[in-house]
Amino acid sequence: MTDGVIYDRGYRPYDGPRRGRRGARRAVVKDGVRRILGLRRKARRKVLPWSLIAVALVAAAVFVGLHFAAGSIAAALAQGLPRYGELFDFYSRIALLFIAVTGPELLAPDRTRGVLSVYFSRPLTVDDYLASKAAAYLLVAGAIYVVPQAVLHLGLAFLSDDGFFAYLGANLDVLWKVPVVAVAYLAIHGAVVGVLAAHMRRPGMAAAAFLGVVVAGGGIAAELATSNLPSARWLALLAVDDHPRILRDWIFGIDTQTFAAERVGFEPWVSAIAVVVVAAVGAVWVRWRYRRLA
Amino acid sequence: MADHVIVVDGLTHRYGSVTALADLTLGVPPGVTGLVGANGAGKTTLLRILLGLVHPTAGRVSVLGHDVAADPLAVRARVGYMPETDCLPADQTAADFVAYTAELAGLPPREARRRSSETLYLVGLEEERFRHLGDFSTGMRQRVKLAQAIVHDPALVLLDEPASGLDPEGRDQMLALIRRLGGFGIDVVVSSHVLTDIEQTCDWVVMLDAGHLVRSGPLTGAERSRTVTVEILGDAGAVARALQARGIPVAVDGSTLAVGPGDDDLFDAVCDAAADTGAGILRMGRGVTSLEDEFIARAGNPPR
Repeated sequence: MTDGVIYDRGYRPYDGPRRGRRGARRAVVKDGVRRILGLRRKARRKVLPWSLIAVALVAAAVFVGLHFAAGSIAAALAQGLPRYGELFDFYSRIALLFIAVTGPELLAPDRTRGVLSVYFSRPLTVDDYLASKAAAYLLVAGAIYVVPQAVLHLGLAFLSDDGFFAYLGANLDVLWKVPVVAVAYLAIHGAVVGVLAAHMRRPGMAAAAFLGVVVAGGGIAAELATSNLPSARWLALLAVDDHPRILRDWIFGIDTQTFAAERVGFEPWVSAIAVVVVAAVGAVWVRWRYRRLA
Repeated sequence: MADHVIVVDGLTHRYGSVTALADLTLGVPPGVTGLVGANGAGKTTLLRILLGLVHPTAGRVSVLGHDVAADPLAVRARVGYMPETDCLPADQTAADFVAYTAELAGLPPREARRRSSETLYLVGLEEERFRHLGDFSTGMRQRVKLAQAIVHDPALVLLDEPASGLDPEGRDQMLALIRRLGGFGIDVVVSSHVLTDIEQTCDWVVMLDAGHLVRSGPLTGAERSRTVTVEILGDAGAVARALQARGIPVAVDGSTLAVGPGDDDLFDAVCDAAADTGAGILRMGRGVTSLEDEFIARAGNPPR
C-alpha cells in the first residue's frame, strides 16, 4: 500500500509580469473578436456570423471564377462582371447584416449584465475599453470588405495578360481605395450601431433598430428630400447609408446610381464630411454614455 | 497612518443635494476590515471612491500608498473588486471569464488561464469551471465573483456584500473563504449590512450611518462573543443554576435567560440544562451582539 498525500493547492501569489493598460486593451480586443465571431460561446452564437462570412468568401471565389470563365479581364468587363468598386455594393449588404447581428453583441451585454463594473475596476479606462471594442469591430467587419477584394485582386492578377506582377504594379491605387471606402462604410455603420447598442437592452432590438435607421430611415429621408417640405434637400443627408456609396463612386470613378444627395445637388465631398461628422457624433455619444456608466 | 492600506482624509461626496459621505477621516490597517452600515449608508460609494471610479466632492483618499485621484490605474492594478450587483456574462464559461479579468489586470494570457484554474479551484468551482455562467446558481455566481476579484493576486480586495443572496450554508462558506484571504496575505475590506458576518470575519470595523463615520476601530474579543437568548417554560431559575453549575454565565430576566457569551455549544448546554431540570424551551436564538448594541447606541438603528 502506498502512502497517499493530499495537497491543498491553496493560494499562490503571482510575481510575474504585469502588462498594465496595454495588456488590458489587448485583452478587450481579443475578447471583442471572440464575441463578434461567437468563439468560446455556445454553438448558436456562431451560426449567423460564420454563415455570413461563408457567404462572403464563397461569393469572392465565385466572382474570381466568373472572371476566369470569361477568359480575360477585358471580356469579363464586357460581360458586366463587377470589379472593385461595384463589388462594394454586394459586400456592403453582407457587412450590413453582419454588423446588425454582431455589433450590438459587442457592446450591449457588457452593459446590461453589469460586467462593466468589473472591467472598470481593472486598470482600464472608458476610452481604452471603447477604442479596443472599435478595434475589434474594424478588424472583423473590415475583413468582410477587404478579404474578398484581396481575393479578387489576386485572382485578376493571375488572369491578367500582362502578367501577375505587372497587374499588381498597374493597380496600386486599389491598395488605398479599397481600405478608404471600407473605412467609410464601417464608420457610418459603426457609429449608428454603437449608439443604438449603447442604449438598448436587447441586442436583437438594437439590430432591428440599426437596420431600420440605415435602410428604412435612409429610404424615407431620400423620399422626403425631393418633397415640397421647407429645406427638404437637407434631409437627403440623413440617408446615411448613401454617403459611403457616393464616396465609393467618387473614389473609383464609377457611376452605379444617382443617390438622393446627388439628386438634390450635393457634391461628393459633402458626403465625405457627412461620414466624418456621423462617425464623430457617434463616437462622442457612445463615449458620453459610457462615462456615465463607468 | 503610514502602515495603513487605506487612508481617507476629510472625504465628502454628494450626489446633487444628497450627501452620501460626510467628512470621513479614517485609516484602515492591514488585515480583514468590515465596512458596515444600513443600505444607503454610503458603503458602495466609499468602495467606488477607493477604486477611483467616483471622484469625491472633497477630501483625499490613498490606497496602498497611491493617491487615488492622481493615479487611479495604479490602484486598480493592485486591487480586486467584487461588486454587489450581478456582473457575470451569461454566455461565457467561468474559466474564460476569470481568465479574461486576469488579462484585464495585465497578466499575460497563459498566466491568466493558469491562475483562473487555480482560483476557481480555490473557491470550490474546479468541476464547474467549463460551464457557462448563465447556468450557475446564486452561490456559484458569488464564488465566481470572488474568484475574479482575486485572480490577479491583488494586494487588497474590496468585497461589496459578498454573502448577499446566499443561504446560511453558502454564507458560512463565503465567510470562510474571506477569512482565508487574510491568511494569503491579501488585505480585505468587506462591506456588509449583516453585523454577525462582520463579527465572524473581521479584525477591524468601520461603521457608517447615513454617510457619517460612526466608528473605525478594532473588533475586540468581547464584541466577537455572542450570547443565546432563551425563553423558558417552567422554572427559569433552575435552568440558570444548572447552566451556572457548568460554568456558563447566565443573566435571568423573568422567564428569559441571556446565556453566554460562548460559541454554538451554548445551544446544546441550554438543551441539556432544560432536560435536567424538567423545564421547557419556548424560544431560543442568538442574542443581540455587542457590535449591534454599539451600532444602535451610536447610530440609532441596526443596519438591517
